[in-house]
Amino acid sequence: MPEPHKNPYRRLRGQMFLVLLCFGLIPLITIRIAGSLEYRKAAAARARSALESMVKNRKVTVELFLEETMRQLELLTAASSVEQLSNPQFLESLRTQMQSRGVAIVDLGLLADNGRHVAYVGPYKLQGLDYSSQPWFEQVMVLGRYQSDIFLGYRRFPHMIMAVKKRQGGRDWILRATIDTDLLSGLVREGGLESGADVFILNRAGEYQTRYSDEHHLMEKADVSPIPLHSGVRLAEERHNGRRELVATVWFPGDSWVLVARQQVPGQSGLLDAHSLVTWLSLLGLVVVPVLSHVIARHRLKQIQGLEAERAGLYESVAQSQKMAAIGRLAAGVAHEINNPLAIIQAQVGVLSDIVTENPDLAHVAEFKDRIAKVEAQVERGRKVMRRLLGFSRRVGPELEPVNVVAALDETVSFVEKDLEASRIRIVREYGSDVPIIRSNLAQMQQVFLNLINNALDAIREDGELRLLVRCADGDVVVKVADTGPGIPEKDLARVFEPFFSTKSGDKQHTGLGLAICQEIMRGLGGRISVESSPGTGTVFSVRFPQEAERE
Amino acid sequence: MADLRLLFVDDEVEFLEPMAERLRRRQISCTTAQSGDRALEALKQEQFDCAVVDVKMPGMDGLDLLRRMRQDYPGVPVILLTGHASVELGVQGLELGAFEYLMKPVDLDELLDAVRRSAGQKAR
Repeated sequence: MPEPHKNPYRRLRGQMFLVLLCFGLIPLITIRIAGSLEYRKAAAARARSALESMVKNRKVTVELFLEETMRQLELLTAASSVEQLSNPQFLESLRTQMQSRGVAIVDLGLLADNGRHVAYVGPYKLQGLDYSSQPWFEQVMVLGRYQSDIFLGYRRFPHMIMAVKKRQGGRDWILRATIDTDLLSGLVREGGLESGADVFILNRAGEYQTRYSDEHHLMEKADVSPIPLHSGVRLAEERHNGRRELVATVWFPGDSWVLVARQQVPGQSGLLDAHSLVTWLSLLGLVVVPVLSHVIARHRLKQIQGLEAERAGLYESVAQSQKMAAIGRLAAGVAHEINNPLAIIQAQVGVLSDIVTENPDLAHVAEFKDRIAKVEAQVERGRKVMRRLLGFSRRVGPELEPVNVVAALDETVSFVEKDLEASRIRIVREYGSDVPIIRSNLAQMQQVFLNLINNALDAIREDGELRLLVRCADGDVVVKVADTGPGIPEKDLARVFEPFFSTKSGDKQHTGLGLAICQEIMRGLGGRISVESSPGTGTVFSVRFPQEAERE
Repeated sequence: MADLRLLFVDDEVEFLEPMAERLRRRQISCTTAQSGDRALEALKQEQFDCAVVDVKMPGMDGLDLLRRMRQDYPGVPVILLTGHASVELGVQGLELGAFEYLMKPVDLDELLDAVRRSAGQKAR
């Protein structure tokens, strides 16, 4: 079960923590998100323009490559006679020559106008095959030059050819070359790619015309939405494998091939990019802000609790002071009403006392004397109570004089020293050597000492130790009176300074005003009185006298 | 010790009489008066060494009586006795020339001491 009186503080601390947390985290998170969005936008824009220019560049590169290859082939065709080209040795020398000049051809072949392979040099066994039924054959015959898509052809392997028509001797001949597709693929991917990016060429049917290791194979259908014909570079965003991708496309002249480049839209890895300094700082903030909030909330709460306690203490002391003054006023108001009857009782019993004293032979004289003494004692008691109560209403400040606290204490102790011997109570004195002479009121100080010492002796009763401690604290003088009595229960401790509160009982008579008066006196002297007690060990009363008592 | 002649003024006879009786037992010739007026009458007829005067009395109160006595009988010291517990009253009384200011209930020895001191002072 939680202590109910602590709950408000805990709740306050919780609230403060939350408020601080919000003040710390909301800007942090807002800035982080806004920054991240800005960053994403910028990154996306940058990625678009980078992709666009890459696509353009690659397209030009591929175009140049193909154009150059075709030009070389045309040059060769034009420069050689059919007879030469029909000779496989000559063809082979051409092939080697071209390859050494960096023209990417795999094989060369000469076809007659009937489609028959007249001569062939290259890794495949294609000599003598009839190409007349091949779709490209017609085209080259009509157009004079031809560049194929990637196709399987006779060799049952994806490849690409270029063919050039040559007219000689009233007949058409065709020089055909197989283009190195790996080289083409390499060209497209030249210079490497950013991670998550891909570049390839597709034909009109959407089949790969370039190869990239195991990811896409020649002639395979590409996993892209159909690309419409368009001029220039087209940029689009689409989802691919659950990621947003930026797709740039550009058609080659002739509209048979399209270069496709795609790249992940950047900044998709979420708000927390592990490589970003901002991310680390944000994470640090997420840790530091709650810790700081907690620390600050705790600190502030302690301050508040301190202030609260101070306020409560102040309130208590004001309340106590007002209570005393009220009692004083009440006492002054009724003093006449009580003192007069007391005076009459005293006078009447006094006469009785006189009579008994003068007639010692009266019957029961001892009993008379005894009972008269008791009445007189009670009158005295009433008189003391009234005097003390009236003391509260007095607001006249004490006269200040130089006081040696140690001497004042010792003198007070001497009043009670006889009692000490009788009840076997030892006195232990612990006096500091630096106790200054202060300006205070000796009589009132001694009244306080006497009260405290008497209380201590009453608490000890017999066989014990009375410890008297005097020391200097910041120019003030602190006196402690410690007893080895039974101690004061905690529930009573707060009440010991209340008027009429007394824990003493039995044979001795107590008004319950002693400590209340001590407190009044200490207040008047500008000092303080406090008590500590642990049941079973004893009680310590501390009084602190200022270096110079302030006059009211 | 020579007998002292004392005037005891108090409106409360229950207090006045036993006090007078006790004082007489202690060789003090005590005349009582229950009001200021009667006290003044007694003062006209007799000579006193000292007067004990209650402050609060109906009619002429103790302070009025004190003023009159300081004027007409300056040789008779006045001890004020009161059930009231006002410091201001005490200070006022002393300012008016009271010899002493005592509070009821007063210890008989204390009163006797004050009476003797006042008479002794007068003798000097």
